[in-house]
Amino acid sequence: MSTALDLAAGTRRVRGLAATNTRLLLRNRLATFYAFAVPLLALTLLFSQDPSQPGAGLATVATVLSMALLFPVYYNLLSVVVTRRDELVLKRLRTGEVRDGEILLSLALPGVGVALLICLVTMVATPLLGFSAPANVPVMLLGMLVACTAFVALALWTAAWTRNAEAAQLTSAPVILLTMAGLFRVVLPEAAHDWLVVLPGAAVEEVVQAAWFGVADDGSQLSLLETATAAGPGLAVLVAWTVLGLSLVARSMPWEPRP
Amino acid sequence: MTTAPTDAATSTDLAIEVRDLTRTYGSGADAFTAVRGVDLAVARGTIHALLGVNGAGKTSTMEVVEGLAPASSGEVRVLGLHPVRDRADVRRRTGVLLQRTGFVGDLTVAETLQMWATTVTDPRPLEESLGMLDLLGRRDVAARNLSGGELRRLDLACTLMGRPDVVMLDEPTTGLDPESRRAVWDLIEGLRDAGGTVLLTTHFLDEAEQLADQVSIMRAGRVVREGTVAQIVAGEPSTIGFADLGRDLPALPAEVRVDRGRTEVRTADLQPTLSALLRWADEHRVVLADLAVSSPSLEAVFLRIAREDGSAEPADDLADPTLEGALR
Repeated sequence: MSTALDLAAGTRRVRGLAATNTRLLLRNRLATFYAFAVPLLALTLLFSQDPSQPGAGLATVATVLSMALLFPVYYNLLSVVVTRRDELVLKRLRTGEVRDGEILLSLALPGVGVALLICLVTMVATPLLGFSAPANVPVMLLGMLVACTAFVALALWTAAWTRNAEAAQLTSAPVILLTMAGLFRVVLPEAAHDWLVVLPGAAVEEVVQAAWFGVADDGSQLSLLETATAAGPGLAVLVAWTVLGLSLVARSMPWEPRP
Repeated sequence: MTTAPTDAATSTDLAIEVRDLTRTYGSGADAFTAVRGVDLAVARGTIHALLGVNGAGKTSTMEVVEGLAPASSGEVRVLGLHPVRDRADVRRRTGVLLQRTGFVGDLTVAETLQMWATTVTDPRPLEESLGMLDLLGRRDVAARNLSGGELRRLDLACTLMGRPDVVMLDEPTTGLDPESRRAVWDLIEGLRDAGGTVLLTTHFLDEAEQLADQVSIMRAGRVVREGTVAQIVAGEPSTIGFADLGRDLPALPAEVRVDRGRTEVRTADLQPTLSALLRWADEHRVVLADLAVSSPSLEAVFLRIAREDGSAEPADDLADPTLEGALR
């Protein structure tokens, strides 16, 4: 079979499985609530801020996007992979034509879709509320896609050593805490700031600062080209987390219940 | 006793060909070899049953043939193709039913099959899939509300969704009621009659007797007997049983055992032995209470193989050479 036909068949399989997984996400009220409500609740923090202040809304937008990465993408995927693995659903799927990567991609896509939707809603909401519109939409969307990939990788890696769905509440804590620590590093001791920038939450905020609010660390306004350059280190950190996560997954992804 | 694949048929006639397959779990001191030089030759258009007690190596063998696990050594071909290297071509033409499996409880039967249909190249229409496994009346029932037997039928419907040429079934009728079991037998025979090939494992020896054109019996990771059911039971003794008389029997061309109040006469010459015994009983006015006569059966052969001393076989650690284990 040619590569083009292979790709078409793979796309058809992923689309079919992802559609089913989206239906299942929407049927699960608790998962849907966490996926949509937690990030959007964070968005309401904008109402309590003065848009005329320099850098207003930056921390809120970074928080909204981080919540969108942590809940619909990271925690939802972790929970689904562990549950389906324990129920032998993944093992069953692997006996068919569908490939391993396609199974994982189809599980991740609904959460990634929700995260991107929340990003778009935020992009529309911020200028309507008087805050900055994204300065560099393509870079911002690229950043969000890379961040989604990184959190997908982290979810799969966490799933690899999570015993069951109940344990996921505990095993997810390191990634959630590290993301929050990076995001809210300003409240942590200054001595720790240098290494906190390598955390995913800090990287997301760095991309938001450059590509959305178009400002440098010293508060000066960046040109369009400079926004892309300034977002580079944050994107690089997210790519590094993606590579690290996927390489760990490739070595340790279990498809059957852990003993 | 094992037979090299080419002894039975040429490679082009074979749907599944396994040569000198070994599969070892772990490494070093913890290494455990579950499959030890297995040869299998499954001809196209036949049903081949793989039998053995728990831990005999059936599922370990099946997983390699299915392409779900690597072989430690040896060769496996499915429709002339390598199950891993030629994965896409093999998977398109094969259907697999695992021993234990799962479905998403929130999906209905129809939704489950529709999802499966998106993953195969040439799916059957939904109604056909539902009808084949008698699931039309359960189409809108969530998988979590299905009985064990219904789940097994749904599993089979998924296996057959892609119109496979070769079907590998690991204990296909486990959990089914007798009626559903018969229906699945009919379905499996129908697949064979339509030119398909079926490799199945089962603990139900009547299932193997009913369905299988060829049988391979595994023990401790090896195929120890194979052939048709008739070939396997040939040479096995028939059994005459009756309540123990508490007295000596006449000289018979047979082996006589008394166990738990019952006498068993095992003989390769059933008719003359039975005639001699009945004549003696008549002459001595002896009543042979609970008299029962049985021809050689696959079950008898299976149980004898399961009970054979395997102290030289490390793989026996996993075997369960008991009647319960054999029939579980």
